[in-house]
Amino acid sequence: MEREHHLSDRRKELKRRTMRRQTSLYRRMARVALIVLALFFVINIIKPKKDFSDSENRMLAKRPELTWESLKSGKFMSEFESYVSDQFFLRNQWISLKFYEDKLLGKRESNGVYLGKKGYLMEGLSAPDWKNVKKNTAAIQKFAQKNKDIPVYMALVPNAAHVLKNRMPANAPVRDQMKDMKEVQNLIGSGVHHIDVAEVMKKHADEDIYYKTDHHWTSLGARYAFDKIAKDMKIQNVESEYKEYVVTERFQGTLASKSGYHGSKDAVSVYEPKNLETDYIVMYTEEGKKATSIFNSEALKEKDKYTVFFGGNHARVDISTTQKERKNLLLFKDSYANCMVQFLLPYYQNIVMIDPRYFYDSVDSIITSYGITDVLFLYNVDTFLGDNSIADVLAEEKNEKVQKSDDSNKKQEKKEEQ
Amino acid sequence: MIFSSVFFIFMFLPMTLLAYFLVPQAFKNVVILIASLIFYAWGEPVYILLMIFSIVYNYVCGLEMDYYKKRGNQKAAKLAFIMSVVVNLGILGFFKYYGFLLENINAVLPIEIPYRELALPIGISFYTFQTLSYVIDVYLDKVAVQKNIIYFGTYISMFPQLIAGPIVRYADIETQLEHRMESPAKFGDGVAWFLRGLGKKVLLANNIGMAYDAIAALPAGEMSVVSAWIGCAAYTFQIYFDFSGYSDMAIGLGKMFGFDFMQNFDYPYVSTSITEFWRRWHISLGSWFREYVYIPLGGNRVSTPKVVRNIFVVWFLTGFWHGAAWNFIFWGLYYGILLFLEKYVLKQVLERVPNAVKHIYTMIFVMIGWVLFFSPGMGSALTYIGTMFGIGAKGFIDGTSVYYLTNYLLLFIILIICSVPYTYKKFAQYSFGKRQDNYKFAAVCYILIFVLCTAYLVNATYNPFLYFRF
Repeated sequence: MEREHHLSDRRKELKRRTMRRQTSLYRRMARVALIVLALFFVINIIKPKKDFSDSENRMLAKRPELTWESLKSGKFMSEFESYVSDQFFLRNQWISLKFYEDKLLGKRESNGVYLGKKGYLMEGLSAPDWKNVKKNTAAIQKFAQKNKDIPVYMALVPNAAHVLKNRMPANAPVRDQMKDMKEVQNLIGSGVHHIDVAEVMKKHADEDIYYKTDHHWTSLGARYAFDKIAKDMKIQNVESEYKEYVVTERFQGTLASKSGYHGSKDAVSVYEPKNLETDYIVMYTEEGKKATSIFNSEALKEKDKYTVFFGGNHARVDISTTQKERKNLLLFKDSYANCMVQFLLPYYQNIVMIDPRYFYDSVDSIITSYGITDVLFLYNVDTFLGDNSIADVLAEEKNEKVQKSDDSNKKQEKKEEQ
Repeated sequence: MIFSSVFFIFMFLPMTLLAYFLVPQAFKNVVILIASLIFYAWGEPVYILLMIFSIVYNYVCGLEMDYYKKRGNQKAAKLAFIMSVVVNLGILGFFKYYGFLLENINAVLPIEIPYRELALPIGISFYTFQTLSYVIDVYLDKVAVQKNIIYFGTYISMFPQLIAGPIVRYADIETQLEHRMESPAKFGDGVAWFLRGLGKKVLLANNIGMAYDAIAALPAGEMSVVSAWIGCAAYTFQIYFDFSGYSDMAIGLGKMFGFDFMQNFDYPYVSTSITEFWRRWHISLGSWFREYVYIPLGGNRVSTPKVVRNIFVVWFLTGFWHGAAWNFIFWGLYYGILLFLEKYVLKQVLERVPNAVKHIYTMIFVMIGWVLFFSPGMGSALTYIGTMFGIGAKGFIDGTSVYYLTNYLLLFIILIICSVPYTYKKFAQYSFGKRQDNYKFAAVCYILIFVLCTAYLVNATYNPFLYFRF
C-alpha cells in the first residue's frame, strides 16, 4: 500500500518536473519566436530591393500600387504576396537550401527536371499533341510532293533523357522517343529521307554530347550527328578534322534555372574545319542586320550562352558563302540546329535558315529565288512534337486573316522570350 | 491567405501580434476581428460582405430569440431560430451546392437550366457550422446570448480557424471570448504547435503530395498494382498531414492569442477499427454531427431501424459536407456502411482477432475510402480501386513503381514514424525528462523545422523564366 503511494507520488513528481521543464522551454521559445519574427520583418523591410534575379532569369515582383480597383479585384493582394516572397532576404540561399532538402530526402527530380548522375540535369519529356503533329507531318508530306525534284531530308534529334539513359536516375519513367520518331516517320512517309541521328547519338552516349545544365545538345553532339547527316545527304569531301575552341566554361543553362540546381557548369565549344576555309556573310533578314560570323561573342557575357550561335533564334537567316559549287540548302529548324550550322557551312553556297515559329513569308519564293537544291528539317524531337507553326508556314495559300492573328500571337511569344 | 505562406508568417502574423499586444485589454478582440476580416478579404475581397452579413444577421437572430424567450413567446423564438438556420444553410447551399444540384437536374430532366459555378467563399463550410452551433445552443438555452457584436464577430470570423477548422463550438469558447489569459508559456506552446503543424504541412504533406500527383497523372493502363498502392498511400499521408498540420497551426495561433481550441486529430492511422478511426479523425466535425444531428434524431437510444437511419443520415451529410459531388456522398455512405457493419455484425469478430490484423483491416478500408475521396468521379474511382487489386493494371510491379518507391522511401519512413503517438511521446520524454539540458534538443528541433520550412515557403514562388521552347 505504502509502496504504491510512493510510486504514484514519484510519478506525480516526475510529471510535474516534465511540465516545469516544458513550460520553461516554451517561455524561452516565445521570446525567441518574437525576436526572430521581428528580425525577419525588419530585415525584409530595410533590405535593398532587387529588380532582377539572375538565377531565375526574370524580373522580380515590385511593390504593387494600391488602388481601389486593384484592391477590389484582389490583384493588389496577390501581387503584394509575390512581392514579399520575391524580395525575401537571401532568397537564392533559401532556394538552394530547399534544393538540398529535397536531395537529402532522396528525391531525384526537381520542378520536372531529373537530377541525373555525374551532375547531369535532364528534362522530363512531355506527351505530344498528336493532332498538331499530324497537321505538321501532312504539311511536310505535301511540301515534299510539291517539290519533287528537290530532295527533302528530316533529322530528328532525341533528347538527353532518351539518349543518356545511363545518366538518368535508375528506373526514372521516360517517354520512348524511339516510338515517337517511328510514328512521325510513318506519318510523313517515304517522300522524305529520314536521317537516323538517334543511333549515332546513342553510340556516343558516354561523351558530353548534351549540356549538363541546358536542354540543348553540345557542338560535339552536333558534330557526330553531322557526320551521319553528311553521309545521308551525300555531301562530298567532308572535313574530318576540326579545331575546337572552348569559348566559355561557365555556362549554366535553362535546366539549372528550372531545377534550382546550380552545382554543375558547362563548357561551350565552337568548331572550325582544319582544312576547308570558307568565307561567308550572315544576313538577319527580318532585323536587317549583317554579320561576318555566325558566332555572337556578346552572348558569352549573358546568362544564356547557347545564344553564342546566331545570338538566338531568328525568323530567317541567310548565309552566303564562297563555296563554288551551286548547292543551296533550305533549313527548317529549331534552336537545336543553331549549333549544327557551323558544320554545314563549307558545303553550300547559300544556306537559308527558317524558324517557322517566327517566319510568315512565302517559302516558295525562297526556293525559286535561291534555286534551293536541298531541304533539311532539323529538329529536336520534343520541340517537333510540340510545334504548332510548321504547318502554317508550309501552307500554300495563306489566309491573310488567320495569318494576321497568328502573327500577333507569335509576336507575343517572342516578346516573352526576350 | 494560407498559413503556410511567406506573406502570412513574415508579414501578416507579426503585424497582427504587434497590434494585439500593444492595444489595451478592451480592444484585443477588435484587433482580432479586424485582422480576421482582412484575412478573409485577402483572397476574395467581395465575400467580405457575405462575412459581415453572416455576423450581423446571426447576431440579430440571437438577440431576437433571447428577446422572445424572455417574454415567453416560444413561437416567435422558434420562428427566429428556424429563419436563422434556413438562411445559414441557404447561403451554404447556394454557394456550395447550387451548381451540383442544377447539374443533376439538367442530367435528369430534358431541359437545360443554365447556371454559373460560383467561387466557393473560403471556409464557408466551417464557419456556417460554427454559426449554427451558436444559434442552436442559444435556442436550446445551452448558452447565453452574445450581446457584444465585437465578441460575436470575433467568434465567427476568427482567422486562426476560419478556413480549415477546427470547428469550434460557441459553448466551448464563450468564456474565452471575454476572459482569457495570454502568457509567455502559452505563447511558446502556441509557437510549438504552429511549428509542428507547419512542418507537417510543408515538409511532409506537400512533399508526399508530389508522389501522389505524379502517380495520379500516369496515363490509363500505365499503372501497375504497386504504383496504385504507392499513389494511394501517398494520398493517405498527404491528406492527414495536410489537414492535421493545418489544424495544429490553427491551435497554435489560437494559443498565441490566448485561446484554447479542441484537438482535431488524434493519430487516426493507429486505429484498429473504422469506429475508432472516426473518433480520431477530424474530431470537431464528428462531434458537431453527433451533437447537432445524431443525438437530436435520437442517437442510438431508439429502435434499431431508427438507429440505422440515423447512422446513414449522419454519414450522408458528412460525405456531402466534404464537397458537392457524388463521390463525396458515396464516400460518406461507404463509412456509414462500414460503421453499421462494425456496430451490428463485425463487433464479435473484431474482438477476437489480434490488433495487427485489425489495424491492417482498418487501414485498407481507410485507403480505399481515400480513393473515393480523391477521384474526380465514381468511374475513375472504381478503375483505380480495380488497379489496386490487379484489374486493368500494368502488371504487379514495374520500373515506374520502383522509381517512385526508391524516390520516396525515406519520406514514407518518416511519415510512418510521425503517424504514431510513440514518436512525440519519446521526444517529450527525452527533452523534458531526466537531464535538464535535454530541452536543448527540443529547441534545436523546432529551430530546424522553422529553417527547413522557410526554405520551402520562399521556394514556393520560385518561378524561373524559361525560354524553353525556343
